[in-house]
Amino acid sequence: MLGAKADYRVPTDCSRRIMAEVQGALDSCAERQRQLERSLRVSRRLLEVWEPARALTPEPETKEEAPTPACPPSAQDLRELELLTQALEKAVRVRKGPSKAGQRDRTPSLTSASNAATSGATAPTHSQPSNQAGSRASGARSTKGTQRATVPAKDYPKGRPLTRGDRTHMRTGSQAAGSGSGLRDQQMAPSAVPRATEPFTLKDKGTLLQLPATFRKAASQNSRLWAQLSAVQASDSTDATRAAKAQFLQKLQLTSGCSSHRPGAAEVEAHAQSLRKACTLLRLRMQKALSAAPTDWTQEYRCLLVLEGLQAVVGQCLHRIQVLQTAVTGPPGPRLVEKPTQGSPLCGEKTDSSWSPELLLYSSTKELQTLATLKLRVAMLAQQIHLEKVLMAELFPLINTQEPGGPPWLALCRAAYSLLCEGGEHFLTVLRDDPAN
Amino acid sequence: MGRRRHRVEGAAGALPEAIAALSRSLPAGPSPEIFRRAKFDRPEAAPVLWQLLLRVLSPLAAKDTLTDLAPEAQARVVKSALDSQGYPRSALVQFPEGSSQRSRELLLALSWLLARGPFLEQLLAQTRVQLGDQLPQYECEALAIPGPPAPHVETETPVDLRLVEWLMGKLRFRWRRLISSQQEQCALLSKIHLYTRGCHSQQNLDHLSVAETEMLRDPESSQQLLQALESENVRLGAALEWRQCELVFWQWMDTVLDACLSETPAVTSQPTVLPMISERGLGELELVKQELQALQEELREVAEPRRAAWEAQVGGLGQGPEWSTTRRALQEAVKQELIALQVSWEPFSGPTQPQRPHRLVRSKDQSPGPQGLQAAEMIRTLSAQEAGLKKVLHQLQSQCQQELARLAGALPDLIWIMVPGH
Repeated sequence: MLGAKADYRVPTDCSRRIMAEVQGALDSCAERQRQLERSLRVSRRLLEVWEPARALTPEPETKEEAPTPACPPSAQDLRELELLTQALEKAVRVRKGPSKAGQRDRTPSLTSASNAATSGATAPTHSQPSNQAGSRASGARSTKGTQRATVPAKDYPKGRPLTRGDRTHMRTGSQAAGSGSGLRDQQMAPSAVPRATEPFTLKDKGTLLQLPATFRKAASQNSRLWAQLSAVQASDSTDATRAAKAQFLQKLQLTSGCSSHRPGAAEVEAHAQSLRKACTLLRLRMQKALSAAPTDWTQEYRCLLVLEGLQAVVGQCLHRIQVLQTAVTGPPGPRLVEKPTQGSPLCGEKTDSSWSPELLLYSSTKELQTLATLKLRVAMLAQQIHLEKVLMAELFPLINTQEPGGPPWLALCRAAYSLLCEGGEHFLTVLRDDPAN
Repeated sequence: MGRRRHRVEGAAGALPEAIAALSRSLPAGPSPEIFRRAKFDRPEAAPVLWQLLLRVLSPLAAKDTLTDLAPEAQARVVKSALDSQGYPRSALVQFPEGSSQRSRELLLALSWLLARGPFLEQLLAQTRVQLGDQLPQYECEALAIPGPPAPHVETETPVDLRLVEWLMGKLRFRWRRLISSQQEQCALLSKIHLYTRGCHSQQNLDHLSVAETEMLRDPESSQQLLQALESENVRLGAALEWRQCELVFWQWMDTVLDACLSETPAVTSQPTVLPMISERGLGELELVKQELQALQEELREVAEPRRAAWEAQVGGLGQGPEWSTTRRALQEAVKQELIALQVSWEPFSGPTQPQRPHRLVRSKDQSPGPQGLQAAEMIRTLSAQEAGLKKVLHQLQSQCQQELARLAGALPDLIWIMVPGH
């Protein structure tokens, strides 16, 4: 058996190329994994019990109109709070009447909330302890929050609880209020959620969430602006502008010493990529033509035409490569290479005229998983094919130049077989059949 | 939208406004004063413009690392990025690196980028705030525009092939892990979508996305998201403004170019091709060329005998008019088919392949309407693609097998024990 001590070392320049490719593939995989892990962390956290928000920096304070973190509630605040509490209690009374099953868990929360509010209000001198009870922010701030938010007597009663678990939503409520404009009667969609003393989970209460108004406004403005921008781009600017730009480009090109367009690396890559695709498609078409068994002369003739046509197309592609190669390496000459479009996109991105993402509708988890897996498998196969070609290009010349029969050659062949024919997954065994036996 | 104001007044007011709009739409855009100074090639304008070019030319992934580089290194990155895009002016490349030089050249480079295509829009799209959930895009396999060399540039040593085998195994494992993580993410996304159904203000979206839900959970991320949206809105507004009044800028750039030409004569020497950039592209081209040559050879081997056989036969068919019409029809049909085939690999072809990110929406509704794309449809397309790629891979592998068998068969006293099942 020769496997044990046989090894083969690839010459340096080949090594460099092979390692660059393989390492590049590994790195891009690792990068995708990292991004995926980041997203996973976020998603997992969302599905767990929502933690109460950590102590806010004084920032939201600046958004509110009268920020003083440690001032005790003023008399007016207390009065307003009192009014609010009364309103809440009334709401509870009204609610308790018609509300049936399904609201049951909310009403106790309201009573507890209103209790908490009252206790907060009636104990101004206990602002310190209430602070500690909250342990997140000053009592003043929470009362301010309460003051700000409206109490719409709509579908879902929105409590103003001051207990811990709800800090988030109230916080967001006050923040949204603060960032909105702080007006009390502003029609605002508080993102606060009616809660009980139990913690918030997306599973149970997710349908009650609502996006804040400021966000909705910004988001709709955002999509409107994108639509405008893509419309402007599609219709293109006035003729005068277009002409001015073209003239500028031409002048710059002409005065730069090379009258031809020298393709840059990005362009060469783009051409190489499309030609690779071409090769694959042409080969597939050829196989299809060869595997079809013509039954009559029309089919036979058609098949022949296809094969000859493919030959011609391949010839054209080769010519294109020739032209590209001379344009990049050779001296500047008259314009030989036509540019792909009027400007290579950054990093291979498509210059789409409409930038708004479409929607991708899926109907079940399984479907989404299938789709995602397929996308990954396609990318993986494309990478495998690329690596296969690279290895073929590197290893076959080595096999041909290495002296056949010796241990290094055998090791090389064995490794080449495994890498090229089995994707590195299986290995073959080589036995030397000793004729002396 | 669409009200076009044609600025007829003199350049005095319109130009700084136009430049200011341009500046607001760029990340870290310089003031109009910088532009003016650059026209006169003032040194103080150069560092700002270097920074700007660095920001707009570096690929998204590298942006953070690049700002840590020394100014000379940054300048090199900018130059190589411009070169890889095919920037024709050699003046930037030829002169030694120094961040206090060539402010006018930098201005010209920036204008060239802006003139060529929807550069601003592409920049904005690169950093677009994503509110929805998407599946990651894997299309952009092409290597990024060169930044600093990768940290693991292997030192020049011969490599044992067993290392390569091992690395391939590692790669396979990474893919498997990626697939399973992705499946987990899909399951979580699906749940989140399910639990927040009916919450979105937009009817057609129905449920919240992760970003939106996260915003509700965590006030800090809510702030961040809001700020990001608002600053993007500012940039978008500025870009729209720019589009309306950019003519005056191009007229002015014409004068800049004239100023440049009057001071320095036109350069006639060939710009040096930075080898690091072109090598990769040329290597790829060479690979493709070899493949195509091999394919051409195969086609020739197959087509020639068939043509000969056909010619021998056709004499027996007669030359009736029926025959020639059929023949023309067939020729036409094959021609059309091949043209369609060619179009499918042309770069920047139509939107048959959905390249832009699609917002995932969970919906029972089977009729997507004009805006929606069905997952089932995409699955079908991808399955076909997967099958095609598998075929290609197997075909390559069997090609290799044949070749190796031929080489190994030359030595009769060796027995190659293949993998069972093959």
